[in-house]
Amino acid sequence: MAIAVAEKRRDSLGSAKVREAFVGYAFVILPLAFFFLFFIFPMVYAIYISRYDWGVLGPIDSIGFQNYRELYEDDLFLRGLRNVLVYTAFVVPGQMALGLLAAVVVNQKIHGRPFFRAAFYFPSLASSAAIVAIFIYLLNVNGLLNAILGTNITFFSDSDTALPSIMGLVIWTTSGTVMLFYLASLQSIPTDVYEAAAIDGSGPWRTFWKITFPLLKPGHFFVLVISIIGCLKVFDQMYIVSGGTGGPNYSTLTVVLYMYQTAISDLRWGYAATMGVVLFAVIFGLTLVQRLLFGRAEVS
Amino acid sequence: MVDKEAAPHVASIERLARGEDPAAGAPVGEIPGRGAGHTATKLLVYALLLALALLYFVPFVWSVSTSLKTIPESVQGFDLIPDNPTLEAYDEVLTEFNFARYAANSAFMATSVTLLNLFLCSLGGYAFARLRFPGREVLFMAVLATLMIPDQLRFVPVFQILSDFPHTSWNLDFPSVHYNLIGTYWGFILIQAVLATNLFLMRQYFLTIPKDFEEAAKLDGAGYFKTYWRVMLPLAGPALAAVTILTFQGMWNDFFWSLVILQNPDVYSLTVGLSSFIGQYKTLWPQLMAASVISIVPITVLFVAAQRYFIAGVTAAGVKG
Amino acid sequence: MKNRARRTVLFGTLVASLLIAAVTAAVSQGKTDAQAAPAAQEVTGSIKLAGWTSGGSTEGVLLKQVLAGFAKKYPKIKVTYTALDPYQQNMLAQFAARKPPDVFYVDSNDFPDWAKQGLLEPLGPYIAKYKFSTKPFYPRLLNAFRYKSKLYGFPKGFSPLSMQVNTAMLSRAGVRAPTTWAQLRSVAQRMKAANIPAGGRPICLQPEWPRMLAFVYQNGGSLLNASKTRATVNTPAVREAVNFYIGLINDGLAGTQQQLGAGWCGEALGKEKAAIIFEGNWVMPFMAEQFPSVNYRVNRMVRNKQPATLSFTVSYSIAKASKNKAAAWTLLTYLTGKQGMGTWTSKGLELPSRKDVKLRVPGRTAFIQDAAVGRAWQFAPGFSKVMTVANNELTAVIEGKQTVNGMLAKVQEAANEALR
Repeated sequence: MAIAVAEKRRDSLGSAKVREAFVGYAFVILPLAFFFLFFIFPMVYAIYISRYDWGVLGPIDSIGFQNYRELYEDDLFLRGLRNVLVYTAFVVPGQMALGLLAAVVVNQKIHGRPFFRAAFYFPSLASSAAIVAIFIYLLNVNGLLNAILGTNITFFSDSDTALPSIMGLVIWTTSGTVMLFYLASLQSIPTDVYEAAAIDGSGPWRTFWKITFPLLKPGHFFVLVISIIGCLKVFDQMYIVSGGTGGPNYSTLTVVLYMYQTAISDLRWGYAATMGVVLFAVIFGLTLVQRLLFGRAEVS
Repeated sequence: MVDKEAAPHVASIERLARGEDPAAGAPVGEIPGRGAGHTATKLLVYALLLALALLYFVPFVWSVSTSLKTIPESVQGFDLIPDNPTLEAYDEVLTEFNFARYAANSAFMATSVTLLNLFLCSLGGYAFARLRFPGREVLFMAVLATLMIPDQLRFVPVFQILSDFPHTSWNLDFPSVHYNLIGTYWGFILIQAVLATNLFLMRQYFLTIPKDFEEAAKLDGAGYFKTYWRVMLPLAGPALAAVTILTFQGMWNDFFWSLVILQNPDVYSLTVGLSSFIGQYKTLWPQLMAASVISIVPITVLFVAAQRYFIAGVTAAGVKG
Repeated sequence: MKNRARRTVLFGTLVASLLIAAVTAAVSQGKTDAQAAPAAQEVTGSIKLAGWTSGGSTEGVLLKQVLAGFAKKYPKIKVTYTALDPYQQNMLAQFAARKPPDVFYVDSNDFPDWAKQGLLEPLGPYIAKYKFSTKPFYPRLLNAFRYKSKLYGFPKGFSPLSMQVNTAMLSRAGVRAPTTWAQLRSVAQRMKAANIPAGGRPICLQPEWPRMLAFVYQNGGSLLNASKTRATVNTPAVREAVNFYIGLINDGLAGTQQQLGAGWCGEALGKEKAAIIFEGNWVMPFMAEQFPSVNYRVNRMVRNKQPATLSFTVSYSIAKASKNKAAAWTLLTYLTGKQGMGTWTSKGLELPSRKDVKLRVPGRTAFIQDAAVGRAWQFAPGFSKVMTVANNELTAVIEGKQTVNGMLAKVQEAANEALR
């Protein structure tokens, strides 16, 4: 019976492969069509129009790489780039550290674990608009934080504190999601490892740094990649807090916000597309660098 | 047919059903060999934990408290308990400022997008994981690469596509039907129908399911779709749960595309409503907090109810790189 | 026989000419509006109107009334109004898709760019064809919507900046409302010495150019020369004005709204953290609704070398890509006509931009008086980046991180680049 089945399979091996390929394409055709239409095509379109002076109604002038040359000397763009890199440099480690701390804590044998897990994840549930609304209230000059600190700081209107305030709010919000990813990684570490460490007389701090932390490498990598991409694309919070201006004193101007302003207020779509292409190149480059540095291929 | 007890993926669902917490996994637990000072350490740890948890909860508690106050009271001081708690702000926000409508819109769109994603991403994820076709890996990489494209870069072409692009921009005769999906639910639903992260999640999960199940299904004479529908999908419970919750949450809180596509206030989602409320009435604190609370509560309820499935899903889907 | 025929012809001609005379007379009775638009029976169709007035607000209700009046007069034209938010972003996407609304708002600050990119329909031909009179519009406001000497819109109303003072606080300090810069300073000094208002500052100043520019104009300065070909930012007149404005803040005589814990200066006035503010007529319904117990008065804007202020105005314009321009023109002339504008401005939320529309709401005399010296808030195409630079540099100056000269140099540079 099994032999007959095996023979039957071997006979139609050639066409079976073709059939499998055909079904494979059939299954992915819809998702791929979506990605092509709403991602790939717009990206190609952006690269195309970046070589033009492109207005609302279409091309005004073909100018080759002039947009790129202008971008290279554009003060505001360089500021936006610097702001977003600084932002990323603080927010990524911040949310990783806080998320890891929360994950380790929640992973302990303590009472009320679901409560703590929910508490740490709770901020991630809210929308960026809601979080900003709450923080505008709390960080108001007559608000709660100023009352506790006994100060009079206009957090979102002072160029020294505007961006850090946003960083704090984002770290607080996203640490919950990071916690869940780390939790998953923590689960996959077998208990024997800890038992062995305990037998060796290793204290909890040492166990964590020498054993747990390195074993979390796949988790670190995943979180790092996702976080960096998300941070470089940040828009919502800056837009809502500064009312779209990137102020005060350029402190909340990010690349994406400047790109948005250029498109919507200055109507220079070719130039805006140029910024998007450059940003994409930066994100792509950084992701590639991470892949090379940390080895592990995502495709297993 | 299949030894379900042996399959870890199905087993976790069974465990969930039994009330066990599959994400409990392997907690670090107590470290043997420590004696005195143990209780003190434990108390300290609990105290720190509570402080940290409080830090996470305080802003929300404050928002709820403010939302129950009147405007004069909200600027006066920092009492946690309102003097005369009133639901006035909620009433105003729900009716006059239309947030009840916005909530219904958000719910409809989030649900529709989630259902579409569940079907399309599981189908696609299965194909990428298990079916062999030329260019599979390259196509998958391309899909992942789309995550790096900023939304603001795509928005004009996407907008044009949704509003009769072939006719208006290319002057084509095909398709002969004129359409305009801007200002409708469908425009929004269409562009979110497939999310790269969901596709990735489903594929990763399918990769971890042993091939025996499919072999068995094939022996039983099942075709590709039937295998997918009858065998693989049921096994992918935790991943589907993860997709459901992540997608619903993502769509509920989506800001940029709602801003661009839902131009008609009749179809506004909660985020757009809230953002425009901030722009106009930023300092009506009770109303602002009431609106924020309204946008957070439904998703919280969903999370609390489905917490286990979600965490099981993210865990089991293997964020293992 | 011939005689009779001739008499019939003569009689007929007489009757005809009498009829023509009568009809002409009748028609010229309703000269102002009816002659300016196609006759009500001729035009049909469905057109779209767009703006940022949200349907549920007080203004939204007014707009609905206006549109109802339009529907009565032109029953064959169907108008659908959509509120867009955020406005510019959504309008641009619709322009790009070649599917814009037929009639829509254009803010005077967006106008140069939108006109330059060919999004708007020039109104000259329609004005000629339908013999529409633009005389009733205040010239300064109307000219805000001219680009390269062609007219692209009619102002639907306007809001100038004036001065609002808390009368109770001023009388407690024993001072009178200032009318010049020098008086503004001395009044503020006296109030500060008397610690009025407690916990605030005498003046609230918004740290942005949409307010500070009024002071620049009062000092005879401007950012561009008259023909908008050259930047005149880095000039003594501008420098003096900026130094005066910022000087008030630095000397503790004025505070920004953020420093006073408010979202804008109107709120500072309401919360009694400031006694003198410079805002437009939108402050009146706000105060009536949120802070009815505060006694304040609207006075004319202060002056220095000359009286001047900023007027914020918005036009109704027709899309170049509109498919039913006749109907759009009909709607446009109604909305900016005597009847339409009368209804729209009946609550005083916006002031009429036509001289023949009387304001029936009290308390706005100062605004109307300031209108004559109000300049439109707009520059040249490509200036949004210049404003970003200007506003950001201003916040830097207020924080002490940039000098006034440094700021003016930067803004001058950006302006000249944009003009290129």
